[in-house]
Amino acid sequence: MNTNGNVKIGVYVCHCGTNIAAKVDVKDVVEFARTLPHVAVAREYKFMCSDPGQDLIKQDIKEFGINRVVVASCSPLMHEVTFRKAVEEGGENPFFFHMANIREHDSWVTDDPKKATEKAKALVAAAVRRVFFHEVLEKREVPIHPDVMIVGGGIAGIQAALTMADAGKKVYLVEREPSIGGHMAKFDKTFPTLDCASCILTPKMTQVASHPNIELLTYTEVESVEGYVGNFTVTVRRKARFVREDLCTGCGECEKICPVEMPSEFDEKLGMRKAIYRPFPQSVPNTYTISRRGIPPCQATCSIHQNAQAYIQLIARGKLREALDVILRDNPLPSICGRVCSHPCMSVCQRNRVDEAINIPGLKRFVTDYFADYELPKPDPSKERKEKVAIVGSGPSGLMCAYELRQRGYQVQIFEADSAPGGMLQQGIPAFRLPRKILRDEIERLERIGIRIQLNTRVGKDVTLEELRKKYDAVYIAIGAGVERKLNIPGEDLKGVWGGIDFLKRINSGQTVHPGDRVVVIGGGNSAIDAARTALRAGAKEVTIVYRRSRNEMPADQLEVEEAEKEGVRFYFLASPLRILGDTHVTGIECIRNKLGHPDESGRRRPVPIPNSEFTIPCDGVIVTIGQKADLESLNDTLGLAFTKQNTIAADPLTLETNIPGIFAGGDCVTGPDVVINAMFAGKKAAISIDRYLNGQDLTAGREKEGPFEPTFVVDTEGIPIKWRVEMPAIEIEKRRTFAEVHTGYTMEQAMEEAARCLSCAGCCDCELCTTVCERKAIDYNQKDELKEIKVGAIILATGFKTFDATRVPQYGYRRLPNVYTSLEIERLVNSAGPTGGEIILRDGRKPKAVGIIHCVGSRDVHHNRYCSRVCCMYSLKLAHLIKERTGAEVYNFYIDMRAFGKGYEEFYDRILEEGVHLIRGRVAEVTDVPLDPSEEGKLIIRAEDTLIGTVRRIPVDMVILSVGLEPQPDAEEIRRLFNISCSTEGFFLERHPKLAPVSTFTDGVFLAGACQGPKDIPDTVAQAGAAAAEALSLIDRGSVELEPNTAWIDEEACSGCQTCVSLCPFTAISYDAEKHISVVNEVLCKGCGTCVSACPSGAAQQHLFLDQEVFAEIEGILTV
Amino acid sequence: MKTYTYYPGCSIKGTAKQYEESLLAVFEALDLKLEELSDWNCCGATMYMAVDEEMSFALSARNLALAEKLERDVVAPCSACYLVLLKTQDYIRKYPELRIKIGKALAAADLVYHGTVKVRHPLEVFINDVGLEELQNRVRVPLRSFKIAPYYGCQIVRPYPNFDHSCYPETMDLLFETLGADVVDYPLKTRCCGGSLTGTIEEVGLRLNYILLEEAHRRGANCIVTVCPLCQFNLEAYQNRILKKYNNLNEMPVFYFTQLMGLAFGIEPEKLGLQRQMVRADQLLASVQIPVEKTRPEKVEQVA
Repeated sequence: MNTNGNVKIGVYVCHCGTNIAAKVDVKDVVEFARTLPHVAVAREYKFMCSDPGQDLIKQDIKEFGINRVVVASCSPLMHEVTFRKAVEEGGENPFFFHMANIREHDSWVTDDPKKATEKAKALVAAAVRRVFFHEVLEKREVPIHPDVMIVGGGIAGIQAALTMADAGKKVYLVEREPSIGGHMAKFDKTFPTLDCASCILTPKMTQVASHPNIELLTYTEVESVEGYVGNFTVTVRRKARFVREDLCTGCGECEKICPVEMPSEFDEKLGMRKAIYRPFPQSVPNTYTISRRGIPPCQATCSIHQNAQAYIQLIARGKLREALDVILRDNPLPSICGRVCSHPCMSVCQRNRVDEAINIPGLKRFVTDYFADYELPKPDPSKERKEKVAIVGSGPSGLMCAYELRQRGYQVQIFEADSAPGGMLQQGIPAFRLPRKILRDEIERLERIGIRIQLNTRVGKDVTLEELRKKYDAVYIAIGAGVERKLNIPGEDLKGVWGGIDFLKRINSGQTVHPGDRVVVIGGGNSAIDAARTALRAGAKEVTIVYRRSRNEMPADQLEVEEAEKEGVRFYFLASPLRILGDTHVTGIECIRNKLGHPDESGRRRPVPIPNSEFTIPCDGVIVTIGQKADLESLNDTLGLAFTKQNTIAADPLTLETNIPGIFAGGDCVTGPDVVINAMFAGKKAAISIDRYLNGQDLTAGREKEGPFEPTFVVDTEGIPIKWRVEMPAIEIEKRRTFAEVHTGYTMEQAMEEAARCLSCAGCCDCELCTTVCERKAIDYNQKDELKEIKVGAIILATGFKTFDATRVPQYGYRRLPNVYTSLEIERLVNSAGPTGGEIILRDGRKPKAVGIIHCVGSRDVHHNRYCSRVCCMYSLKLAHLIKERTGAEVYNFYIDMRAFGKGYEEFYDRILEEGVHLIRGRVAEVTDVPLDPSEEGKLIIRAEDTLIGTVRRIPVDMVILSVGLEPQPDAEEIRRLFNISCSTEGFFLERHPKLAPVSTFTDGVFLAGACQGPKDIPDTVAQAGAAAAEALSLIDRGSVELEPNTAWIDEEACSGCQTCVSLCPFTAISYDAEKHISVVNEVLCKGCGTCVSACPSGAAQQHLFLDQEVFAEIEGILTV
Repeated sequence: MKTYTYYPGCSIKGTAKQYEESLLAVFEALDLKLEELSDWNCCGATMYMAVDEEMSFALSARNLALAEKLERDVVAPCSACYLVLLKTQDYIRKYPELRIKIGKALAAADLVYHGTVKVRHPLEVFINDVGLEELQNRVRVPLRSFKIAPYYGCQIVRPYPNFDHSCYPETMDLLFETLGADVVDYPLKTRCCGGSLTGTIEEVGLRLNYILLEEAHRRGANCIVTVCPLCQFNLEAYQNRILKKYNNLNEMPVFYFTQLMGLAFGIEPEKLGLQRQMVRADQLLASVQIPVEKTRPEKVEQVA
């Protein structure tokens, strides 16, 4: 501090034309300023920032010895630098200056002139008091790193990169897609010259690739940015391609053999690409990339982890043998599962989010039916073991356990109490769902690989558990849950009342049973549905299922419920039976209505009877299927096997061990009634446990992912066209009174069509076919993401745009009406390298005879984006030209205003008019497929007011193109935070000044180029890219940059050495001097954030430009006015 | 039990009686209480608004002022009443001069309106306050054979799309899918039914309704479901005239949405006013009736 004793403050209040003066009484403020302490001079001027304005300051310093200056005008962001320079030129230290913002903070935001003037006075008083305490400070200079990073590899990024690289600077070009090119690479021709976009773009792209000064980092994203102008440290993530960039030559053999097809993002999801792919043929770099996301949801949710995606993709490519191999890898009962599995995979199939889940079991069954004589993989003879394992029960759990153990080499003996194997598969599932022959064949396959099944042998009667435990090295109990529960209501033993499982068993074993003419089935599980459908086939005329809870709570498979409904089964929910009526035979069942109350222990809501709501359903047959339990007594166990309170066998959920070493249990006898796939899961789990047990290994390690788990990623389903499931061929409803299998299975064409709907959620299915054809051995499945730290001095953001989502204007029918496209989708259709080879065709393959192009979709719209997107009029005219040229169709453009502002644009518009394109001036109200007369049948009708002739018109067309506007990228908000810049209200990156500084931002060192700053066409983008490059070059060639001297420092005497500040500093600029017992700030690293200053308990930490004295003085100034 | 103030409006007590019957039955089945606003007056609907706007607002504001005292949400099932009440609230809020005038008018009747009433449509109450899951939990008989063309009309979505989209709403579609019905894609779901034009310029009114009926047939619907008394009246009561004029059309039953909800909940058809339908739908209704007899309750052991 100097001359505090002789402080002379000069106050200058600016009119800023009328910006300030219209609201604030400037004269009054000047008068007021004169009354403030130490103010020697107070003046007003129209434009303080002008030369004469600045001269006032300089003169006063010379003439009147002014040594502190306050200017009350606009924001310091505008002119702080200007005035500091003026003070410096006047001969004083530039930091003896402070600015009061009475424009952005006052005149522009205050309505009442009196209040505005009062506020101005307060702000001036604050500034005057503060500047008294200002100290002498020196500007800091930091060197500028000469390298530059450009984020975004579209035409803007490419242009800026080439300009800077040619100037001799090292450029890092970061692009998150596998290839540079951006949106421009998607176009066919560009306006107004109709140059081919690729032809003008690809030479630049190749230049970038071969330029010695450009390091091209594709498939790379920015993770974090540290530092400040001239000294940025950017960490980028190089995503794993699983293909080595240095080895891949782009020959394409891998792409040919890859079986996985996925919607192509580059083709706007109108076409497909392979899991190993290049976005487009001229990609730079010419390296392939594999989309490998992890385990697909279907596989993750399947209890036995069948790789559904893999076999579905193989079916779609016609590779059926390979599909069968994939299926048999994990499933020894695929013919059965393909018919009766509860398909949890379908609930998580991501296709659900588009239309309907893939019929995964239907496709599995197609493969197994195709190879009707397939065999299971044979166990490896070199792995044979002598240990023997006994399995009690030949249901799905026992069979799976047997298979898994047999493949591991063990000797397996199954004991089955019934006269036929299969458990519930044999007894409970009707033949019209699972034909007996299929079941028999499946079990015989297992027997052919060495699994022995002894029938008519009940464990607990014909042989004891104890004997098994002695004779065998391990035992797996899988006796299921076959004992029916009873309703325990009056009348349950009348003739005509059946237990459901008993009923099904009799029918399945070939007995003739007539359940009645009008049958009521009680229950809501799969057995109830099976019983109901079986009753219809056994002669019932009317079947009604009565369930005590709601449809939501019904455990039955929804697909089975639908089949039942189709066959005529009626449902009555929320009713419970009270008693069965009749003398010797059933005549009716009395029920009471329920409503759902609070959840019970199963988590489902308890049915609560409604008083006085009894009613009777007349019937002559009742089938009770309300659940089963395990027949534990039949085991006649003497070993002390532990049971649970729910009457199941107690088994450890992770290992399936019971309390008796060597005896394991799983399936329905442990969990209660459950589905086939979970029984199989238990069997597999038991096999793994038994294997470990017999080898003396730990049973618990590493078993978390054994069962179903949550998939870890979300698939983008945006833009996939709706295509409903191929219906499984089935016997017609009228013919469904026999026990013939209802679903007759897909044909080859149907299977391939259904399989083609698969979205390939996980991308690569790990089939490894590509590795077999890559001569350079460039494929590396073990590649990992790589983080790289890069130091640069300047950054140019060229991250581009995204198009407006047309579903936000549902009146135009996008995604509802099939032949409504967006302009970007049409660009791909029109492009000869696109999904239709350049043919402009409708979804059904026909050529359009009339096409409508709707301008301003999402733009100039008070409901969406108010701004004009600048390029749409021109590209709409271009598309009109291309469509007319290629198809000869009538083309109608619906516009509001025609914006043809650029060089050659108006001339292009003339040309289009001459070509006979119809231009209708009027904003389109709607696109509809509802015809009002026969000529409109099958067409899309565009309704708009033709404002030039003053009529509402209906124009029937075949294809509608929506000219969607430009918007910021969806992650613009996150990106701007990374780089510490601002966005405008529309979300585009904010330039420093809309007229005079269009490529720099408020963050020094970060520049903008291209559509990320606002919608613009290619010529303007290229120009802006050049401008950004020029500014970046100017910065770099300066060699060094001045920084504000706003660093913190620590008063040695006041510092107690508590070190609070050290850990708080986000830039690790503070260190502890152990000798002096104080903390010290490294000025070079300090960014002036002020954290240490506010945290310091003793006030030892201070910040230049924001001393405590200065801040308090400002507060005083405000408060004392 | 959640209670709502019920503002019926005139139509519901007259030509749309079955709407009220089914609405009350459904609310009761859902354990929600509707209490009719005492001393309510006609809302004026769209007609009065065109004759004397300020007077119309005053009339409407009286209802709002009365309802406000009860501090409960107001349920207005008739689309016209719903819209007029919303419009009154909106204009009072937006235009201070109107607010002052209405305030004076109300004060003359010792009433005051502070602008705090929430006016709701029963469709929105079902979707938001009850929720689709709970509604499905109440379904006794899924509406299997119903192929529904959901017709919202214009007034509940325009100009105030408070709970659904203004041109392609979905709430009623979702509601009926939840109840087990087949809902067809019906793009004319908010297209004008002509309103009172069937009475004033009959040929225009008939034509507009013909378009709606024809499209419903074309889309494969076997019934139309509405929320508005005038829409229902136009589509159903005038159907025989429409059929005579445009003789390439078959009959199509037109229900109120609450009637079908009641059927799904297992409520008897008479309680839902289904005997008042002018276009009969006997077969369709029979498909959701399980033949039952009411029994006298006796002392029974119940094992649920």
